[in-house]
Parts: sequence; C-alpha cells; structure tokens
Amino acid sequence: MKIFLDLLWFFRQEKRAYLIGVGTLLIVAMLEMIPPYVVGVVVDGVKDQTLTMSTLLKWTGTIVGVAVVVYGLRYLWRIFLFGASSRLARLLRNRLYEHFTEMSPQFFHQRRTGDLMAHATNDISAIELTAGDGVLTLVDSLSLGGIVVLTMATTISWKLTLFALLPMPIMAWATSRYGNMLHERFHAAQEAFSTINDKVQENISGVRVVKAFGQEEAEKADFARLSQDVVQKNIRVAKIDALFDPTILLVVGCSYFLSVAIGARYVLHGEITIGELTQFTILLGHLIWPMLAFGWLFNIVERGRASYDRVDALLNIKATVVSQEGASVDIPSGELRYEIEQFVYPEKETPALRDIHIQLPQGQTLGIVGKTGAGKTTLLKLWLREFDVAQGDLKIGGTSIYDTTLSSLRSAVGYVPQDHFLFSATIAENIAFGRPDATQAEIEEAAKLACIHEDILHFSEGYNTLVGERGVTLSGGQKQRISIARALLLNPEVLILDDSLSAVDAKTEKAILDALQANRQNKTTLISAHRLSAIEHAEQIVVLEEGAIVERGTHEDLMNVDGWYATMYQRQQLESLVAQGGGADDSEETRRLSQATS
Amino acid sequence: MILRRLAAYLKPHRKTLLLAFLLLLCGTSAEVWTPKMVQIFIDDYLTPRNFDVNALTWLGAGFLLLHVAAAGFNYFQLVMFNKIAQWVVQQLRIDVFGKVQHLGLEFFDRTPAGSLVSRITNDTEAVKELFVSVLSTFLQNTVFLIGCFLMMFSLDVKLASYCLLFMPVVIGIMWLYRYFSTKIYHITREKLSQLNAKLNESISGMNIIQAFRQEARLRKDFAETNHEHYTANVRNIRLNGLLLRPIMDMMYLLALVLILYFFGKQSLSTSVEVGVIYAFINYIERFFQPVIQMMLRLSQMQQALVSAERVFVLLDDERMAPTQQGAENPEVGDGLIEFRDVSFSYDGQTDVLKNISFTAKPGQTVALVGHTGSGKSSIINLLMRFYPQYRGEIRIDGASLREFADEELRKKVGLVLQDPFLFVGDVKGNIRLANDGITDEQIVEAAKFVQADGFIQKLPQGYEEPVVERGATFSSGQRQLLSFARTMALNPKVLVLDEATASVDTETEEAIQAALEKMRQGRTTIAIAHRLSTIQDADLILVLHRGEIVERGTHQELLASQGLYHKMYLLQQGGVAS
Repeated sequence: MKIFLDLLWFFRQEKRAYLIGVGTLLIVAMLEMIPPYVVGVVVDGVKDQTLTMSTLLKWTGTIVGVAVVVYGLRYLWRIFLFGASSRLARLLRNRLYEHFTEMSPQFFHQRRTGDLMAHATNDISAIELTAGDGVLTLVDSLSLGGIVVLTMATTISWKLTLFALLPMPIMAWATSRYGNMLHERFHAAQEAFSTINDKVQENISGVRVVKAFGQEEAEKADFARLSQDVVQKNIRVAKIDALFDPTILLVVGCSYFLSVAIGARYVLHGEITIGELTQFTILLGHLIWPMLAFGWLFNIVERGRASYDRVDALLNIKATVVSQEGASVDIPSGELRYEIEQFVYPEKETPALRDIHIQLPQGQTLGIVGKTGAGKTTLLKLWLREFDVAQGDLKIGGTSIYDTTLSSLRSAVGYVPQDHFLFSATIAENIAFGRPDATQAEIEEAAKLACIHEDILHFSEGYNTLVGERGVTLSGGQKQRISIARALLLNPEVLILDDSLSAVDAKTEKAILDALQANRQNKTTLISAHRLSAIEHAEQIVVLEEGAIVERGTHEDLMNVDGWYATMYQRQQLESLVAQGGGADDSEETRRLSQATS
Repeated sequence: MILRRLAAYLKPHRKTLLLAFLLLLCGTSAEVWTPKMVQIFIDDYLTPRNFDVNALTWLGAGFLLLHVAAAGFNYFQLVMFNKIAQWVVQQLRIDVFGKVQHLGLEFFDRTPAGSLVSRITNDTEAVKELFVSVLSTFLQNTVFLIGCFLMMFSLDVKLASYCLLFMPVVIGIMWLYRYFSTKIYHITREKLSQLNAKLNESISGMNIIQAFRQEARLRKDFAETNHEHYTANVRNIRLNGLLLRPIMDMMYLLALVLILYFFGKQSLSTSVEVGVIYAFINYIERFFQPVIQMMLRLSQMQQALVSAERVFVLLDDERMAPTQQGAENPEVGDGLIEFRDVSFSYDGQTDVLKNISFTAKPGQTVALVGHTGSGKSSIINLLMRFYPQYRGEIRIDGASLREFADEELRKKVGLVLQDPFLFVGDVKGNIRLANDGITDEQIVEAAKFVQADGFIQKLPQGYEEPVVERGATFSSGQRQLLSFARTMALNPKVLVLDEATASVDTETEEAIQAALEKMRQGRTTIAIAHRLSTIQDADLILVLHRGEIVERGTHQELLASQGLYHKMYLLQQGGVAS
C-alpha cells in the first residue's frame, strides 16, 4: 500500500478529481442499499397480502429513481477517477520523454531500447492502473463492502451476516493466490512467446542461409517445437485462469446455502421475515464484487509499486554530460585544437585515443583515416560532447569546449553520422530537422549541395515524400546524402562527416566535396573515411592506429612515405578500377592512371 | 469467409469440442438449477412450514452438490475450450510459418521483415483471443443466458415473456456500444502506436536530436501526441461509462422493478409464491454479468478478425520458391556449369541480366567483377535457384537447373554469403545446422580446413561456445570463417562465393585468404570477387557492366587484350617502381 503514499503528490495535485470521485463512489454505495431493502419490503407485503397499489407504485418508483441517479453518479466517478489516472499516465510519459532528451549517450549505451520502451509503456500502464482501478477497488471494496455488511448486520441479523460471510475470506484468499500463480505462469508464457518471436525474426533475417542450406524443414520442425512450448505454457496459464469463475461460484454458493439454511431457521423463529431473507441474499450478491476486488487489489498494488519504483529510479538518473556553471553562451568560432593526452571510455581500461595534438586553422579541412576501430569516430564525436575528455582539452578559437554551454557548442557543430539515421517524416522535414523554420528554397539549396536534389525530384511526391517504414525505401547512399543536406542546412562553423560518403559513388563523392569547398569558405570541416579519395584534398590528413596518430601530412606528403596511407591508396585505386568494370564512363580515371604510370 | 476458414481449423478437434460443449451444457444447467431449488425450498417447505428432515437434507445436499458439479464442469469446460483455442492457433502459426519457408526470395525482397514477423506472431496471437473469447465467453454466456430464460419460463411464462422484452434493448445497447467502441478503440490503438513509434524513434535517434539541439521541439511534439492519446482515452472512458457497466446496472434495476411490480400487482388479486419472486430476482441478477463480459470482448473480436484476414492473405500468397520440375532426379557430378543466353528481371520490366553465357568447367574458378548493380549477385541468385523466372538455360552437368531436387542442389552447391549469418545456439550447431549426418569429427575437420579451429579452440567453451543473436560476440572475420566451415562441412561439389568487402584485421584476412584458396581446390567455383588474389587465380574472369558481360578471359588473356586488365597491370608495375 506504500504506493498510495508515493503517489500522494499526484492525489494532492488532482485533489478535486479524487475528492469528487471518491465522494461519488461512497454515495453510490449507500444508494445501492435501497433496492434490496425495497425488495424485502415488497416481498413481505406480497406474502402478508398487505401490499396496496399506491405503496407498490411508491416503492417501485423509488427504485427507478435510484437507478437513474446511480447511473449518472457511476458515470461521474468514472470520469473523475479514470480521467485523473489517465492524466497521471500522460504526465509520467512526458516526464520520461523529457528526461530521455536530457540523458547522455552513455545512458542509452547501457540500456536497450526495448527496456526503455517497456518502462514508458508497461510500467506506466501499471501505475495508471493503480491510480485508477487501484483507488477504485480500495475505496469500493472498503466502502461498499463495509456498508453492505453493516446494513446486513444492523437491519437484518448480525448472526446471519456472520454465517454468510464465513466462506468469503476463502474467496479473497484463493483469488489472490491464483493471481500470484497466474502472474508467474503468465510470465513464463510471455517468455515462450517472445522466444518464438525471436525465432521468426532470425529465420526471416537469415532467409538466404536457410534456403541455401535447405534448412526449411528443420526450421519448421524447430518452430513447431517452440510453438508447442508456447501452447503448453499457455495451457498452464489457462488451468489457473479457469479456476477463478468456478471458485467464486462455489464460495458464493456456500454463502447462499448458509444464509438460506440458517436464515430459514430465523424465519421460523420469527427473528426475520421472508422478505428480509430475500433482501439479505440480494445484499450477499453485492458482496461478491468487493471481495473479489480485494484479492485483485493486492495484485494491482504490487505491480504498481514495482513499476513506480522502476520509473522513479530512471527519472532520478543524472546526466553525465552537462554544461558547466558559468559556461559561455557565445557560439564558438576559430581554429580547432586537439590537445589530448589520452581518452578512455567509461568502464573501459585501454585508452581509445592517445596523445592527439592537432591544430587546424579556421577554414581548413582535416582528413582522418585508419582501420576500423582505430578511433576515427571517437576523435570526431568528442566535439559533440557525447563523452568528455578527462586528460586533455579541445578548443575552438582558443576557448575550451568545456567552457562553452552544450547548446552553444552544438550549434557550432554540424554532424553527419556514420549510421545515417532519418526520422519517419517527409524528406523536407528531415533536411530541415535542425532548423524547422527553413524555407523551401533553403532546403533545396542544401539538397543541391549534397547532390540529392535530383533524386528527390524523382520521388512521387518530391520533397513531401515520407521516409521510413510507411514511406519510400531509400538506398544507403540517398540516406547519407540527406543526412549531409541536413547538416549543411545549418551552415555550421564546424562540419563533421563521419565516413558519410561511403555509400555514394566516386563521381557523386567528388561533386559533394567540390560543393563543400566552394561553399564553406572560412569554415572548418572534419572528414573521416575509409575511401581515401574522400580526404585526398584535405589540408591535413592524419592516419590513426589504435588511437594514436601514426602518419600525418598532406596527400602528397603521405604518398612520399612508404606507409599505410600510400599502400592503401594504391590498393584502392586498383580496386576501384576493377569494381568499375570496363564501362566507358570511367575513362577519365583510366586516363589519369595511364598518365600516372607512363 | 474468414470465419469459415477459421472454423475449418476446428475440424480436427471435433470430438474435444463436442465434449467441451457437453461439459458446458452440464455446468450451465447445474448452475441455473440452483435458484430454482431455493424457490422450491421457500415455496414448498419454508412458507407452509413443512419440515420433512429427510427431504430437506436431500434438498440441501442437492444444492451443494449442484454447486460442486457446476464448478467442476465449468472448470474443465473452460480449460478444454482454451486448449482447443491454443491448438488451433498453434496449427495456424505452424501453417503460416511453414508457408513462409516455401515462399520465394522475391516475396522477401518486397515484404519488410518487421511486418512479416508480426504477421506470424502478433496477428496469430490476436486470432487466439478470437477463439478464446468466441469459444469461452460467447458460447458459455449465450448458453447461460438461454438457460436463465428457460428457467424463468418454467417459473412464470408471462413474466418471463416480459423479461424477454429487455433483450432487444440490451442487444440495441450492445450494438450501439460496438458501433462507437470499434471507432474509439481504433483511434486509441492508433494513438498509442504513434506514441510508441515516436518514443522508439527518439530513443534510437537521441544523438541526432541532441546534436541538432531539437530536444525542445520534439518534447513538444511528443507531448502533443501524448495529449491526443489522453483525449482518445478519455473518450473511451466516457463511452464505457455511458454504455457499459453503469447502463447494464441500470437495466438490472429496471428489470427488478418490472418483477416487483408484476408480482406486487398480482398479489393484489391472488396469492403469490414468494419463492418464485426470489428465483426471478436471482436469475435477473445473474443475467447482466455475462452481457457485460460479451460487450467487453466485442471490439477485441473486431480487431482479431482483421488480424485473421491478414494471416490468410499471407497463407494465400502465391510467390512460391522454385522447386524441382520433372521427375528426372539428376545428380551433380563433376560440377560443369553452363549459363546459356540467360536474361533475368526481378520485376518483369527491367532486365538486370542480359544474355549471359559462360561455362565453368569442373574444378574451375569463375570470377565475377563489376560495379554494385552490375548483375553479379543476380547471377549467384539464379545459380542458387532462388528465383525461377529467368529466360535462357542454366545447366549443371548437362541437366537443367530446374530439374534438380532441392536436397541434391542444397547439398552439392555450397553458398558462402557476404554477410555471414549466424544462428542463436552454439558454434557447433552453427556449422552443422540441421544436417544430423554431420559428425562432431567432421565439424572439427571442416573448421580445421578453413583455419577456424584455431580461434574456436581458444574460446572458453570451444565448439560449445554459445552464439548470441546474429553472432554479435564474434568479429566479422571470425563470423566469415565460421560460415566457411558451415559450407565445407557439407563438402559441396560447387562453391558459390559472395566475397565480403568488410575490412578485417590482417591476421584474420590471411586466414580467410588461405581458407578461400583451399576451398576452391577441386571445386567448381563461381565467385563475386573483391580480393585481387581471387581474381588473379581465376580461370575465367567475367567483367560485368549493367547486366552484360563486357570483357571476359583468363588473367593472361585479359592482360594481353589491352583492355582494363592491361591498364591494371601497368598500374601495378608503376606502383612497385615508385
């Protein structure tokens, strides 16, 4: 029940809704006592033949009145209670979302998207249920149950009430127990279900392997085995689930039996009338729900509490990367400097970067190359402050990026990631992601620079074409160029291209690089690449190996050293020649090669 | 139509279904009899003060026994109906999964994996709800309602007929509720899935959102959708408040008024048996609970029918994988491969291969080189018989590719994919797959052959080392070696190779090169080649451009032809010289 204390802040905030809701519930519980009483009176009147038409009309009219009023009140409390719990869900969901937007990458690296989603969906549902149905069942089972028992005991017979209630605790106990067993088995069934989900996922992703190795029948057998497991686990659930109704039937039956059997004795002794006995059994019917609800309440509260604790814990996590106090709000500009002794990722031991010292005057381009895992992306991402350097510093125009607010720093940096992530929105919205107020002309200008304008015009709805599952499927190269356009639209002081040209062909790559050079006068650009042609033109090129710089200089400098760069360059030239086949359109390149060799 | 197809799935369980239905009838009859017994007690014994101990004992025992019997019957009935629903859905699931196994790759090319998975699992799960609710809730409650009415008629025909008048009203309310709830339910679901999609996307793209400083805008955006979801939710609460339990409770009270008025008025002229009033009140009280339960299931049912339809559409898909034609059962012998004038189009409009002809003699290596989209992968896809609709002729050892049995083809033609796909399980299982004929020794042998044994031995659990989803704990080079071993364990006659371009560390690269060379020995090999070593070793090099072979020959011939190879050769000389 601690959860109700935890949620006190919300009950206070929604004082009106809860007061009206709970008040209405109490009134309904009291009004509900009237019809059974009327039944008792009428039955006795019928039996004793003392009923007159006017009294009959009076009594039945009373019930009609009660029926209408109760209908209205029941509608009311639902709106107030469930409305409030829906608002709680809305509030928590917004809070979580806002919290997510403040979290550093480390937070997302440590958690799986699925888990975070589960907190925002399942856990919030459980809390919503506690604040709505939980409060309802608590109030209802206590008030309705209390009033019914009180009515039975005071107006009819307290002894009979006691006998009739004897079997009831069994029901509350049994249903609560079933609830726990069900929870456990249901969990197992859910897990079995998610296993077949994974199986299907794997089977479909690996369809080529399945077909090439003729694994179809084996896969079918495997799937049949897994789904058999699902059936078994679900039947285990059904076996408990099916216990609820018969148990209630049985316990209620016993209660009825006791009340009628013992009640009959009291009727004989004249302690109660037959009408009162009938009234009593109707009231007994009203007790089933509060009893059931009480068993149910424990389950709701249990789950609500666990969920609330999880959500609360999540909300209390502090961001690891924040603006320092007194940080400058000016947007930084000027030459870039790397002054890194070493950089180690949190919870890692070997440094990802060592001894990096680079000075890049404003307006120049830095090319970063090296093998996969050499540290290229790490080196670039430091500017975004996804992780902070402890030993060393990064400076823009002489000011440390740590002395600038996160927001100002990020507005100076335009970033094109390696894994081109686009949002499910239109192409125009994706390009204008960083500046939603950009005009169509500006968007098209950026698209032209990124050599994607023509492609976009070919889509059925041009710039309004949707991207993502429900929209057009873009090729890797198209996605890359849209991400480039997205960054270019900001015309940032520092542009970072993290292997962002890997999926475009050589001609497009050259066109984009030319456009960048022409349009980014006095602006600094950082490019990492596997294909060396993307950084050939850079004023400074560094070759990374295991986080350290092993070669540096211009393209010409590096070609004159017999190192990784020169070897790689030769090899890539050869491979690109092979890959391009004997078509006529690469004549320029072959001519260049022939000239180089002759 | 959908219902009939679903009903067909019940056929194998006819007997169980009948038994369950009998149990349901027994349980319900026992249940509806109990108020009647109280009526007998009140009218025949209590009111006339007739206390025959023997008869009363029987009556009391009968009352309790009926409850126990009703509880017992109902329990088994509920479990049985649920079992039937589970079995039916299992069969449906196996059918649809099996169907998908035999669909051609053209189907997979055009169907997003996510929606396919959801069809096989989530949609069938929704169908399960349909069976559970139809079989248990609807059948049981309908039988119960009919039982109630039968008893009421047996007590008083006139009043029972009056009570029957409530039925059209109740059905009318149900209809209204269904009409509105389907819409609102739909909107609520839609909003919820939008909400989740936004959340999911934001979590995955948070680095972009932060890098572009769009946190505030997206928060606002999310809050809007969240609010829309709330609004839909409130509408749902309103509807449930107006048309669900509260209105049914009101109907109950009105029915109570009818009963009281009826008997009260009757009592003015004649005497009335009190027990009958008791029984009537009791039946009416029990009448409305099942109605509410059925109403709650209605929108769920609607949803389930939509899901069922989607599943059946998938079951009816006709894009089947190509299978053996004719009954010749040719065998792959030495591995002579011929392509004769083969043209191919994925969509039936633009040809991605145009008049491809070449021959790979037994033991030879044919290297395919060219741009992405030049048709290299299509040649391999055709040779693996992934797509049926090509023109021209592909022959292996003189027999048409179309005539081979699946098993023969899959055993003798080994494919090594560019993206080495690993299954969840262990290393051994990933090499063996489901071919039980492969012994542990053969697995180790295959691993040694491709030089994978070295790193496998170093794993903490060796060949039993667990493999997680997509083999994420292995490096890309290790994954490639494992997939080599998988192919070599079958000892195929023909090797179809899609060389990976992914860069790996030098050590693994050397192992891969050596393995590839060994694998090609004595096998006809068709390779999409990226490694110069593979290309140079090839007996025939096909240079593809836009679906056509633009240059062909051996390494030497191509060098002599003054074409591309000649230039390459010159370049290499120059490279060495400088």
